[in-house]
Amino acid sequence: MTDVFQYTPGDSVLHRMNPVTKIFLTFCICMAAFLTDHLSVLIFLLFLDLMLGVIAGIPRKAFSIFRGLAKISLFLFALQALFVRRGNPVFWIITDEGLRTAGTVVLRLLVVCLPFALILAVTQVSDIANSMVQVLHVPYAYAFTLALTIRFIPLFMEEMSGIMEAQAARGIEFDTKNILKKFGLLLPLCAPLLISSMRQTGATATAARVRGFSLRTADSGYKKYGFGLVDLCAAVLSIALIAGAAWIR
Amino acid sequence: MIRVENVSYSYSSGATTVTDLSFHIQAGEFVAILGENGAGKTTTVKLIDGLLRPTKGRVLINGSDTARSRVSERAKQVGFLFQNPDRQICRNTVREEIAFGLRAVWGKKEEARIKARTQEMLDIFSFSGDEEVFALSKGQRQQVALASTLAVKPSVLILDEPTTGLDYRECTHIMNFIRDLNETEGTTVVMVCHDMEVVLDYAKRALVMAGGRLIADGSVHQIFRNVPVMEKASLLPPQIVQLAVRLGGEFSEADEAGELAELIAKKRKGG
Repeated sequence: MTDVFQYTPGDSVLHRMNPVTKIFLTFCICMAAFLTDHLSVLIFLLFLDLMLGVIAGIPRKAFSIFRGLAKISLFLFALQALFVRRGNPVFWIITDEGLRTAGTVVLRLLVVCLPFALILAVTQVSDIANSMVQVLHVPYAYAFTLALTIRFIPLFMEEMSGIMEAQAARGIEFDTKNILKKFGLLLPLCAPLLISSMRQTGATATAARVRGFSLRTADSGYKKYGFGLVDLCAAVLSIALIAGAAWIR
Repeated sequence: MIRVENVSYSYSSGATTVTDLSFHIQAGEFVAILGENGAGKTTTVKLIDGLLRPTKGRVLINGSDTARSRVSERAKQVGFLFQNPDRQICRNTVREEIAFGLRAVWGKKEEARIKARTQEMLDIFSFSGDEEVFALSKGQRQQVALASTLAVKPSVLILDEPTTGLDYRECTHIMNFIRDLNETEGTTVVMVCHDMEVVLDYAKRALVMAGGRLIADGSVHQIFRNVPVMEKASLLPPQIVQLAVRLGGEFSEADEAGELAELIAKKRKGG
């Protein structure tokens, strides 16, 4: 699961696209998902997300992310279906409105989360940061912070799994199948995770400082991020998605 | 005691793998696993403790298959000291940290026994108990992790690069303690180590790995003199062994500086 947030090398259209266009496309898919309440539109957006994974040449990764999110979605679906009281009863305490709301929430979650994971799979984090500085004129310190946050996610996930492994080896029942018990055991682990995170971020900050972080300007990057035909098509598609979702709404 | 039978393992990412490993470790042995980075040493010790499940073959500890029981249940029997002590430590003070591991294994009902054993471990490792764990040095944190691991009196101790990042004094302190434990209590020790001097000083037997395979198994003395094996594993024997081998003849079997010096002095006297 730690490789979900990691870059997958490739030469697909999505790999070659300007990172800012990819951010814009992701943003528009999310906007479209929040503009519409139609289940059919949300299903179409989900299909589009998965197709983007196929176009990027990473269908297995896209479906693996989808499967991971689907597990969380099932839990959310059950909660929504059980607690929404509006509408006509369908079965036991579950209402038709409850099922509809649950479906909308879950589909929205999937539609919004998938493109973020996909953009990280087809774009180097440094390209995201540099293009934000160059094209969007975001101050480098902020772009760097965003890039570092993304880069640290798999590192922290790996650290957490290492901590759980070490704790299981000393007798803490992290290998139990009881999810509630496992959640209870997670609390004491916040200390080692926090300590290692602080140490890692401290070390990274020092390393960045000694390598002249403060001297960097918007022109320091050698790579130029052009805007081609593919980017234009993606931008048109992005705007069309928002317009379509707003119109169908 | 530990029986590894035709074990193979590959990570889902296809990274480090071990292939067709087979060896047997008797109770009370002190075994070092050697090899360059990526040779599969850590994977092997994780397979022994059941932290990883073999894709092929099986690992038996005292006759029971590690794949059929939970790692946490095995903590009474097998202690695992990780390279990074911070992954094991999760309490604020040394006393709480040692007691935390004991509670997990012995249960909360054994509070009096846990208290007594915690104090015993604090005395052995010369801690007052009130020290803030995360304010200690890496060597001291490694000692806290070791104290916590040994508190439950495991019959097998697995050490994954226990001396990394420690200074000479800290390293000697920890390794001498482990040797005493091996010699007096009969604790079986399996150690992954990159420091050949430490291996020469403490281990009796060495398993050499290269490319995920076991390429040699023998006494440390023999292994360090087996040039083809050492070259294949990209390892260099300790300097004292290199010197003894280069001197040749009666000197070539010396493993310690003192032993070598005595042999040279004897030779000089003899003319």
